[in-house]
Amino acid sequence: MSIQYKTIKELASMLKGNDISNKELVEETYSLVKSNTHLNAFITLNEDAAIKKAEDLDKNPSYLSLSGIPIAQKDLFCTKDLRTTCGSNMLSNFIPPYSATVIENLENAGCISIGKTNMDEFAMGSSNETSFFGNVLNPWGDDLVPGGSSGGSAAAVAAGIVPAATGTDTGGSIRQPASLCGITGLKPTYGRISRWGMIAFASSLDQAGPMARTAEDCAIMLNEMCSHDLKDTTSLDEEIPDFTSDLSTSIKGLKIGIVKEFDLSQLDNDVVKVFEESKKHYESLGAEFVEISLPNISLSVPTYYVVAPAECSSNLSRFDGVKFGKRCDDPKNLEDLYIRTRSEGFGDEVKRRILIGSYVLSAGFYDAYYKKAQQVRRLIKNDFDNAFEKVDVIMSPTTRGAAFSAGSKGDDPIQMYLEDLFTIPANLAGLPALSIPNGMVDNKPIGLQLIGNFLQESKLLQVAHNFQISTDWHLKKPTEEIN
Amino acid sequence: MDKKTVTNIAYLSRLSLNEGNEDKITKDLENIIKFVDQLDTANVDDIDPLTSPLEKTAKTRSDKATAQNRKDVFLERSPKSNEDYFLVPRVVE
Repeated sequence: MSIQYKTIKELASMLKGNDISNKELVEETYSLVKSNTHLNAFITLNEDAAIKKAEDLDKNPSYLSLSGIPIAQKDLFCTKDLRTTCGSNMLSNFIPPYSATVIENLENAGCISIGKTNMDEFAMGSSNETSFFGNVLNPWGDDLVPGGSSGGSAAAVAAGIVPAATGTDTGGSIRQPASLCGITGLKPTYGRISRWGMIAFASSLDQAGPMARTAEDCAIMLNEMCSHDLKDTTSLDEEIPDFTSDLSTSIKGLKIGIVKEFDLSQLDNDVVKVFEESKKHYESLGAEFVEISLPNISLSVPTYYVVAPAECSSNLSRFDGVKFGKRCDDPKNLEDLYIRTRSEGFGDEVKRRILIGSYVLSAGFYDAYYKKAQQVRRLIKNDFDNAFEKVDVIMSPTTRGAAFSAGSKGDDPIQMYLEDLFTIPANLAGLPALSIPNGMVDNKPIGLQLIGNFLQESKLLQVAHNFQISTDWHLKKPTEEIN
Repeated sequence: MDKKTVTNIAYLSRLSLNEGNEDKITKDLENIIKFVDQLDTANVDDIDPLTSPLEKTAKTRSDKATAQNRKDVFLERSPKSNEDYFLVPRVVE
């Protein structure tokens, strides 16, 4: 029986029914990895350790929620004794001495880490074209980008290699590739999942989350990924519910907000049509639409492109060629060591963001840019607070369109930055948000974004699950003819 | 944004720019800064900056040592080290 495209729930039931052994499941997974190497979805595989863990599970079965389930891990999470590159030449030789809390949580729940997935360098990109290890291809078409930065994770799930993967989302890096690859991806509330052991990009925005074929699998993953972690001072000390318990509860009477300021007339007709059809579908499920106003939302992308580079330039100052990672050959002196290591180790997009960050933080510009952006950030958060007095969730397209071809955004960075127009606001406000497949445009999948109030992941997953049990967009496979 | 400013922030960032792409980077940064100048349209009088979406005081933990001494584990990941230290080129001649 093929394991390709199976969900966590289906694989768990196959393991429980002895239809497949843990070792067979892992071996089958690696044969899928190997028949899909053209996607370039993985940077490093964990084959020996994964097979050993599966053999151990066959000998001593355990019945944890993720026992024996193959999961792909974004190469931004530190994994003990397994190379962690963050998609960068700078860390191309880095083997962490410890694992990120989220990796430990998932592995303690029984999952088998198959390997580390490709990504935009240091998570900076929206097309997976900035990875030192090469572009990732979208399973829906070799000429298409998978989105980014969690492009390898999205491609691995979309190709049916693994049922789920970890991702991280600073400005849309889970939701945008989920949309472009036709899968489900959730960015939880800021602080829900520990950031300890996640290589930092922009610390006030970064959040890990699950990527899977269904909202139900995302809920199963989220149950294990969340924890209150003393090693991360921004980790929330809040009750962690069972995210699967309300999935099937009806959404009759749910109030869904539509953002007045999101001008959909700028988008392709087909994209708008898909969105309108989803609205109708939610109406048929008993939801009610309410127009809301987020007056400062148009400033989200400019705010993000001050805050994120500023935090990036501070965070990435640790890569100096002294304690770990790459060092240039034959440095003349200490300064030459720093400058050449960083110039050789970082790619163009990372350098560009470090430079913007250094500029907006430099003397004389701090108030005009960094402080101002943080003030606007508060205005945006206040807008959401007001909106959530009227509605339960907010709905929009996840992306402006379906997957585009590599190189098609030209070399104007702002065009690429605008890719994240709909996703960035949730990061600025720290809110949970997810993307589910809701239609096809030119035979390519596209996603619907739902944003929830603080800690309302269960609500989002319920709204998404209700959609998925009454539609089949999430079941489409790249290998099928789509009608 | 001019080449001199870009050269200065590149030095502050300990990055060197290739002569070939200096103009392109200057142009890109200029466009990005122009793009973020839209922030000037917002009225932020009396608005406190939002540094973190949580706005909660960071929780502290008790001041107890939890890590073991793992000096060797860390030193062996360094590009250059001896048994006690990370090594860099001589700083004082």
